[in-house]
Amino acid sequence: MKTDEFNIVLSGVGGQGTLLAAEILGTAAVKEGLNVRVSEIHGMAQRGGAVVSTVRIGENVQAPTILEGQADVLIGFEPIETVRSLRFASEKTVVLMSDERISPSELAAKEMSYPDMEGIVEKIHRFTGKIIIVETEKLAREAGSTLSQNIVLLGALAATEKVPIKNESLIQAVEALVPSKHVNMNVKAFELGYEYVKKMKVHV
Amino acid sequence: MPDPRVLLGDKPEKRVLLLGNEAIARGALEAGIGVVTTYPGTPASEIADSISEIAADAGLYMEYSVNEIVAVEVAAGAASCGVRALTAMKHVGLNVASDMVMTLAYAGVRGGYVIVTADDPECYSSQNEQDNRFYALLSNLPCLEPSNPQEAKDMTLTAIEISEKLELPVLLRTTTRVSHTRGPVTYGKLSTPNLKGKFIKDVKRLVMVPANSRPKHEVLLRAMEKAKEISETSPHNNVVRKSKSKELGIISSSSAYNYATEAADLLGLDASILKLGMTHPLPEKMIEEYLKEHRKVIIVEELEPYLEMQVKAIAKDKAPDVDICGKMSKRYFPKEGEFSTLVVAKGLAVITGKELPVDFRKIKEKYAEVSKDLPARPPILCAGCPHRASLYDIRKTVGDKAIFATDIGCYALGIAPPLNVGDIMICMGASIGTAQGISKATDESTFAIIGDSTFFHAGIPGLINAVYNNHKIVIVVLDNLTTAMTGHQPHPGTGVTGMRSASKKVLIEKVAEGCGVKYVRVVDPFKVSETETAVKEALQHPGPSVLVFRAPCALVAVREKRSKGVRIEAYKTTDKCTNCMACIRLLGCPALTVENGKVNIDETLCTACGLCISVCPYKAIGGNS
Repeated sequence: MKTDEFNIVLSGVGGQGTLLAAEILGTAAVKEGLNVRVSEIHGMAQRGGAVVSTVRIGENVQAPTILEGQADVLIGFEPIETVRSLRFASEKTVVLMSDERISPSELAAKEMSYPDMEGIVEKIHRFTGKIIIVETEKLAREAGSTLSQNIVLLGALAATEKVPIKNESLIQAVEALVPSKHVNMNVKAFELGYEYVKKMKVHV
Repeated sequence: MPDPRVLLGDKPEKRVLLLGNEAIARGALEAGIGVVTTYPGTPASEIADSISEIAADAGLYMEYSVNEIVAVEVAAGAASCGVRALTAMKHVGLNVASDMVMTLAYAGVRGGYVIVTADDPECYSSQNEQDNRFYALLSNLPCLEPSNPQEAKDMTLTAIEISEKLELPVLLRTTTRVSHTRGPVTYGKLSTPNLKGKFIKDVKRLVMVPANSRPKHEVLLRAMEKAKEISETSPHNNVVRKSKSKELGIISSSSAYNYATEAADLLGLDASILKLGMTHPLPEKMIEEYLKEHRKVIIVEELEPYLEMQVKAIAKDKAPDVDICGKMSKRYFPKEGEFSTLVVAKGLAVITGKELPVDFRKIKEKYAEVSKDLPARPPILCAGCPHRASLYDIRKTVGDKAIFATDIGCYALGIAPPLNVGDIMICMGASIGTAQGISKATDESTFAIIGDSTFFHAGIPGLINAVYNNHKIVIVVLDNLTTAMTGHQPHPGTGVTGMRSASKKVLIEKVAEGCGVKYVRVVDPFKVSETETAVKEALQHPGPSVLVFRAPCALVAVREKRSKGVRIEAYKTTDKCTNCMACIRLLGCPALTVENGKVNIDETLCTACGLCISVCPYKAIGGNS
């Protein structure tokens, strides 16, 4: 397979800020003079439903969507949605997963609890051993708002040193795209996510 | 989202990450378009939305028209005076506008006029996946198809240029994966919008009575001959890749082109690629030459075999020996759904006998194992959504003894359990008309459920029909004071215009009264018992009745509270909760979850709408304090 491209899948629930996170990655890539495509889904699909955005970086990239098995990084904003996007993963994929669970309405309707995390991690392991679980809610709360969990994940992503984008470009893109009064809080969220993964000293 | 003022950046050669739709908006600014009209619809909405935010600064006129045909009428009126104009709509919007567009092609325009139609292969946010390139054939209008944001901007300018050269409107056709893809866009120069023109009276040209239409049809056909010449030399139609062997060629356009290129690379094909950006009229001579140069030509296009039909017609006369593969005689590619690099690669592999370099079947099987028990997460009504309250109220009052014609909007999500409201839904505004036929044919209690924006868009003629023909139906207008599904655009009931200035609200209840409806009530759907009474009375009424259920969209209400710094205190279950699951079973609110057999209210999702308090039989839900 081609190695001159870098593919990121962002998988979550409508309202979690996957679109903004994808746009930040794309903006940072353009800032560095890279070619990039970001795919988004708007409208009806966003209403609390499963949403997938993709970011593809590389000179020859044209299609905005990613081939099965070809993600370099899968950012799971929610555990069930991480599993739902495993079709993009393979042994090379780094899975960066939030521990923030959002119960799908189908579970409530069947009066069922959320599936246990061990089972979810086991499923991810069938595709890749490179898993990092991030306590996004805790870190975002520490930064000032649980709404900044998407930015926590971007900080965590930067700490893996996998993405071909410099940290300062990512932070500049965060500053440019979040509402001006929430810039400091989001930069904090980015830093907390970054430090969290750095402290883990994992090699992925 | 980026500050829309980014679009006003006056540095040519600046490279910015833009959504395809934002790139079209930038193209409009570079082309000096003076009038932009729209009716919002996914995946087209951000074109006009981004213009709306900056229209006053940019010095152009923008409006959210009441529907797509009015949007085209307003813009065409301006373009007939020499003003440059653009109208944006989703694919099905062009059905609504088509009556105007078909004959506007005869009358033509003086100022350049672009009609953007955003198609939605895969129905991500639509009721069908029609291929609007056929409107170009049907209307005899030129059509351009960008494949990425840069081209979306560039082709907006090209469309204006062609439009003025031919004095015809030009269609710019995108798909979801063009409109909703972000990519780098290099800016050109901004132009000053030309906002004022002159209406030159010319009955023969502009009044389409039969005596004038007949000669104008000929004029249109002649213009299309000229358009063919433009297409032959258009920089948007060209061979972007040459093969060594000249054996194999690929013709493609739009988003399919991106997949075709990557799929050819994936398989390591030695194929040349003819990329078509102007797909009506096609560059026939260019295609003829291309066909003659190759032994086999593969047509890669999403949805209908629009290119394939025409390329085969050219081949029959000019290059009968070439083997053309696509989706017509043998279905190497599907006609339904959106493409991906994999879908295209599979088709190319079958045609060329090449092997895919990755065992995608193995990935699929492995994925099927891990995903088989995964709970589905379809889109649902948000926590705190007033539609949930409205549909619950109606269900509570009538039980299963009613038929519900529903409509296009968030409330269509009410078809999901436990609300199950919605028995027929076809297109914008159809609830009111179909309810009348159902009521006539069954004598059952029949409801038409329609949103505020949809009511203004296409509901009013149906309403008048119900009054005049005395159809016994209950029309429920779910007025959440915005066009919610498409991103909260204003409509005539909101008191805000596309220029972000204030206007006098058109009240739905006054419209209904003015149309002659005798039973009209406005209720707050969160007041369950009052609403129940109104529904009962409406059902008793001998003719058509109108109930306006008015409460703001929860997303807007929460956003407003947040911006004012008002904390939303989520509700909690108290120790009186018996976990009877009534709230879960009746409402299906995403903030209500079950953890280890116990009801839990998700504090990050709960908006404190209080609907669950109304349904709890044990009064076991309360405030935070």
